Amino acid sequence: MGWIGSLYRSSVGKKSIMAASGLLLSLFLLTHLLGNSLSFLGREAFNAYAEKLHSVGDLLYIVEAGLLFLFLIHIITGIILYLENLQARPSRYSVSTSEGGRSWGSRTMPYTGVIIFVFIIVHLLNFHFTDKSVPVADLVRGLLSRPPMAFFYIISLLAVALHLSHGVWSLFQSIGFNHDKYNGVLLKGALAFSILVGTVFILIPVLALVSRSFLL
Amino acid sequence: MILDSKIPDGPLAEKWDRHRFECKLVNPANKRKFDIIVVGAGLAGASASASLAELGYNVKTFCLQDSPRRGHSIAAQGGINAAKNYQNDGDSIFRLFYDTIKGGDFRAREANVYRLAQVSNNIIDQCVAQGVPFAREYGGQLANRSFGGAQVSRTFYARGQTGQQLLLGAYSALMRQVKKGKVEMLSRREMLDVVVIDGQARGIVTRNMLSGVIETHAAHAVVLATGGYGNVYFLSTNAMGSNVTAAWRAYKRGAYFANPCFVQIHPTCIPVHGTYQSKLTLMSESLRNDGRVWVPKNPGDTRPPTEIPENERDYYLENKYPSFGNLVPRDVASRNAKEQCDQGKGVGSTGLAVYLDFSEAISRDGSGVITRKYGNLFHMYEKITAANPMHEPMMIFPAVHYTMGGLWVDYNLMSTIPGLFVLGEANFSDHGANRLGASALMQGLADGYFVIPYTIGNYLATISSSPQDTSHQAFKQVADEAAAKIGQLLAINGKKTVDEIHRELGLLMWDSCGMSRNEAGLQQALARLPAIREEFWQNVAIPGSGQELNQSLERAGRVADFLEFAELMVIDALSRKESCGCHFREESQTEENEAKRDDANHAHVSVWEYTGDGNSPEFHKEPLAFENVQPSQRSYK
Amino acid sequence: MSDIQLTLKIWRQEGPDAPGRFQSYASGPISTDMSFLEMLDVLNERLTGEGAEPVAFDHDCREGICGMCGAVVNGHSHGPEKETTLCQLHMRHFNDGDTLVIEPFRARAFRIEKDLVVDRSGLDKMITAGGFVSVNTGGAPDANAIPIPQKNAEEAMDAAACIGCGACVAACPNASAMLFVAAKVSHLSLLPQGHPERARRALDMVSEMDELGFGNCSNERECEAACPKGISIRNIARLNREFLKAAIFSDED
Repeated sequence: MGWIGSLYRSSVGKKSIMAASGLLLSLFLLTHLLGNSLSFLGREAFNAYAEKLHSVGDLLYIVEAGLLFLFLIHIITGIILYLENLQARPSRYSVSTSEGGRSWGSRTMPYTGVIIFVFIIVHLLNFHFTDKSVPVADLVRGLLSRPPMAFFYIISLLAVALHLSHGVWSLFQSIGFNHDKYNGVLLKGALAFSILVGTVFILIPVLALVSRSFLL
Repeated sequence: MILDSKIPDGPLAEKWDRHRFECKLVNPANKRKFDIIVVGAGLAGASASASLAELGYNVKTFCLQDSPRRGHSIAAQGGINAAKNYQNDGDSIFRLFYDTIKGGDFRAREANVYRLAQVSNNIIDQCVAQGVPFAREYGGQLANRSFGGAQVSRTFYARGQTGQQLLLGAYSALMRQVKKGKVEMLSRREMLDVVVIDGQARGIVTRNMLSGVIETHAAHAVVLATGGYGNVYFLSTNAMGSNVTAAWRAYKRGAYFANPCFVQIHPTCIPVHGTYQSKLTLMSESLRNDGRVWVPKNPGDTRPPTEIPENERDYYLENKYPSFGNLVPRDVASRNAKEQCDQGKGVGSTGLAVYLDFSEAISRDGSGVITRKYGNLFHMYEKITAANPMHEPMMIFPAVHYTMGGLWVDYNLMSTIPGLFVLGEANFSDHGANRLGASALMQGLADGYFVIPYTIGNYLATISSSPQDTSHQAFKQVADEAAAKIGQLLAINGKKTVDEIHRELGLLMWDSCGMSRNEAGLQQALARLPAIREEFWQNVAIPGSGQELNQSLERAGRVADFLEFAELMVIDALSRKESCGCHFREESQTEENEAKRDDANHAHVSVWEYTGDGNSPEFHKEPLAFENVQPSQRSYK
Repeated sequence: MSDIQLTLKIWRQEGPDAPGRFQSYASGPISTDMSFLEMLDVLNERLTGEGAEPVAFDHDCREGICGMCGAVVNGHSHGPEKETTLCQLHMRHFNDGDTLVIEPFRARAFRIEKDLVVDRSGLDKMITAGGFVSVNTGGAPDANAIPIPQKNAEEAMDAAACIGCGACVAACPNASAMLFVAAKVSHLSLLPQGHPERARRALDMVSEMDELGFGNCSNERECEAACPKGISIRNIARLNREFLKAAIFSDED
């Protein structure tokens, strides 16, 4: 199994691990998104979804453990890459500008990553390590109708969208998927995905803040 | 000393085979006991280093750039010739041989040129095997284009970057040997002198261009692949670093110099546009396949080219040379451009340019086809001139490009110093008085891949394989001389920059020993050169020290040698009273102003021996015998 | 043709271990037909005349192919023009009164030798690690023995056009050499001649790159935008593919 070690030690290997974990996390995000969209159908549907989810029992713990593993891999590898990259250019340029390749998403990856990390901890404290007897709809409303928390969620979710705007395209590049025939679709698809994720998730705190009837 | 070219006996086509058989061999176990120094890492140097290392020799390779991937071979655009006859258009080894001999205006050795044509095919095979991405047809076969001086399509190419791709192929082979530990690569080293012990080349003295340290290196044989001396003119298409120093120092140590006045002026370069200009940029000759050369019929016509009607344009090459048209050899094309400009028909702000027009090709083949063929060249032209050749004709003018002259070598590529071999543009051997397009790459690689690996063994087998080191006092002596010269340069502390003096030298050489030469001009140059040299040694300014990266000092050392070398060029040009190929002596021309050769008196290689500073060089003659082709007055009509 | 005047802020550093600093120079009149390096020549001529040390910079062919020149001008590798080496950059792209900040390519793997001259031997080392086809001189089959689809040859040529200038490393926010390695791995993996060693090559070149202290690729596309030969990051995807295939599926380790 030495090859896994050497794969992880190599730059391209680490990038592929970022890509693979990123891909799986994006898929998780997609299911999370679909689940959350049920909130738009009303509190019954949303609560039912949460209960259904909790009723799968042990399987949920396995999935959660898997998710935790993915997050840790993604975060630790990301930190290693970030530090290595810092070292690769010990003296910076006095004029720092873009050649035209970078995007807002790509240049802020480490920072949006940190915001997302903090967000996940808060989010887990809010919804996971909490009293699970309270219906989820009430939990959401109770938390997100408070402006400071709602704004925290909105800003964090913008960071998620920005992170994805580069990450989703980038992960395909990192695992070697880049072809003239599909590049256009891939680039637009990745952008659309990040906008979709951002919009749907942000809609929840926004509605909780402005709508009197949301989840009631 | 009588020059022995060591050309093997027998019929032309069998000479090389026979010679390879007769060459003494070094057995594989002994090869690893021999050290070989290769100076230069262009096509010839890199291919020789790799091939010699593959055979088992220990090779030390030197280059003055930061990497061996940068030799000026890299800038060759158009292509490389080979007698593959893939196009079924009647090409053959003999035809390539014949075209090259004729293109060189019958001033090259038959046997060398025939060997070149023979191995040309192996070169293409070798390069393809290395992964050189030559242009291909849809069916996957190699594509060819035609080139000046030939009526067959035999030129292989990789877009307009053939030299780059061939060099990167040789470089990759070289680096493979570096990995194997068979080649020690020493970059940013400038060779300052060759060390000759008991009449044999035994090593070199170099300067580490980063630290300034003067180093000595010993070996059983020294191979110079140090390119040409076109930069004697200051402005040329050569790289800024190209210089004559290695060859010149070898000359001063006993290697004879052959045909130094043979300098090719390339017809399709971007015209000069300012005094600050540092170099001239060549536009590949392949452009003449589709571009039509013209000037206004009326001298002094200053209208923009697009406003000059067809009947007021003089397509002088097509009119004068109906069968070759725009594809006449380089020397003919260059001279005709000069002639038109001398008549006042030159175009552009300086009047020193002619048009190269693609409008007909664009309307015939469509802009897509032309872009595919020449897109990168057009792009390059536009970058420099801010004009797009798709919409208006290019302006071109001849510029110094290649030097056919070089250190004299025998059939084994060995100079008159035993153990000192000279490859590629640095030697004089294959192109006579004019080189055909796409033949420089061929010669560099032929010498490096397919000639030196055999012929160096023939020499090494005759000497002892005992280890060489730099303990002999000759190394210290030569190194001290080199250091003293550097000290002398740094002590001048004058007022003029190296470039100022170099520019002055260049202008003098261009005017008197350039596209056309005459007795009076050459004599004047000969009188003027010592004064410029004196000015240099009295009044040049070189800031900084010798113990650091000092680019002014590097340039000064090279210019000091150019200043001496220029004199030899002029002396050679004076002694060759005929016109041949690039060497146009105004005293020797036909009624139609074409070059007139004088085979009775000048069918020879002019070879010069150094006899000490201040003394005239001694002239030697290597007669050229033509047994397989009949020298004729070249006609491209 | 017209003249412009510029302020040049140039990085001066006496040697690898010496501290560097910016020094300002007035350019004097500069013809817009000059190339960038000719502009530096003019400055150096003047400095020499004044008895000062000229600015050291690498250069050789001055026609955009040898890859020896390069510096960062106002934050752009090889200056602001697309697909242009510094020697092919002409002063007509600048305006009268501009200030140009000229610094060397910066990366841990590119030691500064003097002023704008850097040590790029790392690029050679990566080629040495595996950027070749193991074929000795002689014994090659006829050049037309293996047909190569035109498209593959063209794509290989696109990648092989790399001039090894190091602008990709200089422009990469992470000082990664991925585009350089990718160009060579792509060039040789697209041609049948390169196939026997493709797995070994990808593994060896990447591992050499990592050892030399270049950074990691984070798909910022700056390299592609800075490359004077317009080499596409598609080659990086191909390298990733080649590497992962080699690391996971091949017998090589």
